Amino acid sequence: MISAILSLADVSYSYPDGTHALSSCSLTIRRGARTAVLGANGAGKTTMFLHLNGILRPSAGQLQWEGTPLDYSRNGLRMLRSRVGLVFQNPDSQLFSASVREDVSFGPMNLGLTDKNVRERVEEALHAVGMTEAADKPVHNLSYGQKKRVCIAGVLAMKPEIIVLDEPMAGLDATMQEEFTAVLERLHGSGITIVVATHDLDFAYGWADQAIVMRAGRVLAHGAPREVLLQKDVQDELGAVPLVAEISRQLSLLGIDLRDNGYLPRSKGELLKAITAHTRQENRP
Amino acid sequence: MLTELSAYTNRWRQAPPAAKGLFSFCGMAAAFAAGSPRTALLVALILSAATILGAGVPVLRYLRVATPALLFLLASGLSLVVSLDFGGSTGGLSAHLAGAELPRIAQVSCRSLACLTALLFLALTTPLVDIVSLLRRCRLPDTLLDLMTLCYRTLFVMSEAVHETITAQSARLGYATFTLSLRSLGGLVANLSVQVWQRSQVLQLAALARNNDGALRFLGPDYPNPARAVSGAAVSGLLLIILAVTLP
Repeated sequence: MISAILSLADVSYSYPDGTHALSSCSLTIRRGARTAVLGANGAGKTTMFLHLNGILRPSAGQLQWEGTPLDYSRNGLRMLRSRVGLVFQNPDSQLFSASVREDVSFGPMNLGLTDKNVRERVEEALHAVGMTEAADKPVHNLSYGQKKRVCIAGVLAMKPEIIVLDEPMAGLDATMQEEFTAVLERLHGSGITIVVATHDLDFAYGWADQAIVMRAGRVLAHGAPREVLLQKDVQDELGAVPLVAEISRQLSLLGIDLRDNGYLPRSKGELLKAITAHTRQENRP
Repeated sequence: MLTELSAYTNRWRQAPPAAKGLFSFCGMAAAFAAGSPRTALLVALILSAATILGAGVPVLRYLRVATPALLFLLASGLSLVVSLDFGGSTGGLSAHLAGAELPRIAQVSCRSLACLTALLFLALTTPLVDIVSLLRRCRLPDTLLDLMTLCYRTLFVMSEAVHETITAQSARLGYATFTLSLRSLGGLVANLSVQVWQRSQVLQLAALARNNDGALRFLGPDYPNPARAVSGAAVSGLLLIILAVTLP
């Protein structure tokens, strides 16, 4: 059975200026899952993420790590932040040092590890995101996509159990997005739970195991993407349907059923494969 | 960013900063030890040769980086040679040549030139992050080094923000006339102030998210054969000092 790693129970939070960013927000992040968080700008995604890392503390409600309420003491936060890695949207606001290696070492150094240990972790993390070759370049000479990878390496070097990424695909071109998805897949393959905030419905539909849709600081829908993202209220909120799902639906209206043992294609690649397979079957004498 | 370019692409990029720092320090010591302008010039020549021939910094780039400092040195030298007198005995403006002081001025100027080449050697062969890590090992106060690290990083982030804002303003005729330019410049400064404040807040959050509790700690770089490089730098630096002391 897949267990909950982090959960929010009726969490509310208001910023000092009075903005209610979260109102009775409840959700569960499953260990080992790929979770996509969707919602319009201002829906509370970033505020929720800052709660997961203990940077913000709920004004009401509770967060739990594997069923135990979060400990906001110095040691508790230290433990939480080494387990939950947070990658911000803009890499330039996250990178401290002009040296790639130095910046990646920042987190593990804060954990008080030995230099030898930190050095090993830095190399491992750079290798995991494919940035070993660029490790000696200054940060300001890297491309936007490379800077994002360095940010992930900086978090990865702390060996977290969850990595939370705030709109990681924003500002990346199609090739970079593909490369970035491959990095996320590798991380997920190594057992890390991944949570991603995104506006890209097609990405969420194809990539995620669970989708959380937020509206005005609350969870509007929570569950498997193929169920959640096709709900009427979710479509109204997000203003669109995943393209692959819509094409499959239109084709089924024309009598072309792309289901393979009940499995509907979730990504562009899967859709093309299903259409090819269906056409071959139709043409078989 | 010519200095930056050289620091990352020169032949001695992978040499330990301690070795380069030591050689540069010896160069400055030799500049002070030089007994005559001729010897100081020789020290400057050797240090430039080390940068250009040794580290492989292109001559033209070297000269372009050195020019502003050289002009400053020239202006300082000239202001020592020529002194202006307002009023005085004749009641008008008069200029005097410091004839008796000329050898002394030549000595100071040549010594400054040698010091400049010593500093250029370090700046053009060593990236600032390496210099900061060297200073950290020399036990300089953390706060000072953290400020250096953040300022250096922010320099690039803010220069990008400045370029973007100016482009956006120009695209809407923000700099079409003198009055508009002044207004746009005001807008740019105001916008940057807000950005600095917002970015510093996000940076604070990013530091917290990575378990930071105050001082910025980074892992120092690791270099192959540091002892060999440092002893090599020490020997050549010492030879330079001996040369400066022994030559008349």
